[in-house]
Amino acid sequence: MNYLRLLAAFFWVSVISELAYRVNFVWQLVQSFLSLGVSLAGLAVIFSYTETLGGWRPDEILALVGVYFFVGGLIGLVVQPAMEQFIESVRDGTLDFTLTKPEDAQLTTSIKRIEIWKLIDIVLGLAVLVIALIRLGENVGAWQAGAFVLMLTAGGVIVYSFFLILATLSFWLVRVENILMIFQSMYEAGRWPISLYPGWLRYGLTFIIPVAFATTVPAEALTGRLTWQTLLVAVVLAILLFAASRAFWRVGLRRYSGASA
Amino acid sequence: MKALAELYTQQFKTTLAMMFQYRAALVIWMIGQVLEPLVYLIVWSIVSKNSGGSIGSYTTSDFAAYFIVLMLVNQFTYTWIMYEFEYRVREGILSFALLKPVHPIHSDIADNASSKLITLPTMILIAAGLALGFHVSISPAPWAVAVFIPVLLLAFLVRFLLEWTLAQAAFWTTRVSAINQTYFVLMLFLSGQMAPLTLLPHPVQVAAAILPFRWMIGFPVELLLGRLTLTQALTGLGAQVAWLLLGFVLLRLVWRAGVRNYSAVGA
Amino acid sequence: MDTRKRAPVVAGEPTVTSPVVHIKDLRKVYVVSQQEAGAKAVLQDLVHRRKLEIPAVDGISFDLATGEIVGFLGPNGAGKTTTLKMLSGLLHPSAGEVTVLGYIPWKRDKSFLRQITLVMGQRNQLVWDIPAISSFELNRAIYRVPPVDYRRTLDELTDLLELGPLLHKPVRNLSLGERMKCEIAAALLHRPTVVFLDEPTIGLDVTMQRRIRNFIAEYNRRFGATILLTSHYMADVVALCRRVVIIHHGRLLFDGDLSDLVQKFTEYKTIVLQVGDCQADLRSYGEVESCGDGRFTLRVPKAKTAQVTARLLKDLPVIDLLVEDPPIEEVIERVFAQENP
Repeated sequence: MNYLRLLAAFFWVSVISELAYRVNFVWQLVQSFLSLGVSLAGLAVIFSYTETLGGWRPDEILALVGVYFFVGGLIGLVVQPAMEQFIESVRDGTLDFTLTKPEDAQLTTSIKRIEIWKLIDIVLGLAVLVIALIRLGENVGAWQAGAFVLMLTAGGVIVYSFFLILATLSFWLVRVENILMIFQSMYEAGRWPISLYPGWLRYGLTFIIPVAFATTVPAEALTGRLTWQTLLVAVVLAILLFAASRAFWRVGLRRYSGASA
Repeated sequence: MKALAELYTQQFKTTLAMMFQYRAALVIWMIGQVLEPLVYLIVWSIVSKNSGGSIGSYTTSDFAAYFIVLMLVNQFTYTWIMYEFEYRVREGILSFALLKPVHPIHSDIADNASSKLITLPTMILIAAGLALGFHVSISPAPWAVAVFIPVLLLAFLVRFLLEWTLAQAAFWTTRVSAINQTYFVLMLFLSGQMAPLTLLPHPVQVAAAILPFRWMIGFPVELLLGRLTLTQALTGLGAQVAWLLLGFVLLRLVWRAGVRNYSAVGA
Repeated sequence: MDTRKRAPVVAGEPTVTSPVVHIKDLRKVYVVSQQEAGAKAVLQDLVHRRKLEIPAVDGISFDLATGEIVGFLGPNGAGKTTTLKMLSGLLHPSAGEVTVLGYIPWKRDKSFLRQITLVMGQRNQLVWDIPAISSFELNRAIYRVPPVDYRRTLDELTDLLELGPLLHKPVRNLSLGERMKCEIAAALLHRPTVVFLDEPTIGLDVTMQRRIRNFIAEYNRRFGATILLTSHYMADVVALCRRVVIIHHGRLLFDGDLSDLVQKFTEYKTIVLQVGDCQADLRSYGEVESCGDGRFTLRVPKAKTAQVTARLLKDLPVIDLLVEDPPIEEVIERVFAQENP
């Protein structure tokens, strides 16, 4: 399918341009491992003083860390770079190039730039996840695995739509360069189950900046904590947000084309 | 020196204007600055409650005090110069700094200090709010408060000099973000940002004592919380001074080498 | 002044006549890594880098006297910007001598830096989000310009460059031309005696180019600054510089008066001939370049110009005849082309 070929092409260009910077390659490896290492070390310290954290056992938190890195890697691989470049292209007018191409603008924009090094995070995240799953062994059934995949997908869609909405704002507001940072800042809180946080923070991390759906909810699915309500909310929210973001995007696009005519 | 004072004043005005332009980004950034210590505060409070109300010498309330003070100290010593340098090299505007008859570090110190004059008051308010919310109070000895001021200033200088020196990496490699992240990750663990250093395994505490991170952040925090004896405070002060001198020497060496390399390779 | 970083004064040479800029056998060699396409090559590069030495400036020599405006011409990659960077202290030469105002540029002596300026077209030193005037104030503090001098210089620059309405707008909101004017002003606030301009009019529209050209001429006239200007645009050079230095592939091709350039490098003259219509076949007289409405443009070898002119006048019903040198652009293009057989 053309979409895949496009993706592959962008992917390859990213690989070539990144491999040009040798030092960066080594450092990215080191940095990813270091980041994970510190995360795990932090966990080790915490759990040297307690058996559970808000009802979560160490291996369950480990699974959460795995999800955190995996999802973070995914976001950093495609979603964030593409949205950043999109915001730039609105500002400097290069969006016009995209609009004159035959492919759907939203599609092309969404895969335009790829931060290849995030693959390392994805792989590491998966590795940690697998290890956590092995340790949780007898507790993970087919049901939970299925729910996990569903929640990951829903979470991914929610996060993507959220980023798209933020990026679409650049059609109206001129100074939005760093708006994507807000997710970045809040995502840090996703290292821990959001059930730990006081009510107001929990609410903010669920419905304002959807960090919860990216990390905690899939982890909840995996560890058998997921309630039907949460699952339903996640799925419905994913569908609604995707539709809403696309509609918002179209409105913005119309305005852009109209404005620069 | 009057000329230098003039430069700092002008830079303050410039920074002020720029921050006003970027106020939205500033707010987002400050949210992040508050969130990180807050998350650790919550996590450690829970762990403490699970362990009967205290861990080591920290009660649940002590943890709250620790992280709130940490938030402020971190804010006071924070720099972003490493990202700034990478940006300058990437955009090719570092050349302009090299054409000017003043050392570029002056503008950077002025810019850093000026921006803190603006963000600190807000952070202090937030800290006060959090302190009320978590019912914390601290009662350091008067001498600790007196020593805290120079210690805090030294912490800022040490951090600034070392990070400025590290920022020079931009002379040699165009993508320093990986180095930056590594640095911040190490700092998280070894400065007391993740957990009070006394709660970490002994080898880590030794490493933290040898490296500069503790002296940039953890040490002033412990001092203000009244957790250090006079001897410990003075030893810490000595460590800060030692790192300041080392930082200064390193800075000059690396800067000179950096300019030489830059002028060999071109911009 | 700090004497440590000045070049030694040659005994017997009075400093007042020594050149402001002195370059001798200047070389700059870049080392770059070679990269080839294809997955295998990319992975190989990861392990072992191939290096290539590229001489950007390959042994050039020239001097500038006080108050000269000299044009420094060459196609892209010829070595102009590299030379300018070596003159302003940004680049360390690989070999050769270079002094400016008696200083060795790469030592970056503070008193040296206070007397020079480098303007790079398309690169901004102005702070993007704040009004230009704020960046000016910052520069004033950096260069330690006394308030009185600053006021006066600023007024003169505002007048010459028509900066009035631009000063208080954020730089981000200025058009390219307006921004360039402000950049130039910012670079001149400290009244440098040596001015290096690297493609200052690039990307600007014709009107703005002309304005900036006029400004440069006026600045040179009023303050006696020595100006070295690189440009792609012949109009810049023709309007401002009596003397040009041409560089190509890192070597000097020509250094002298612009008028001499034409004499030296051109073997042709152009005859513009007005007759009744374009029917006549003039190929026996010379190379017919074009014809429109009876107006022929002929290219004729220089040596034969008089002869051909006489024949034309005798053979044809000439209404008007004009003998011209080929346009400077063409001459210079041919100069460059000579390097590429």
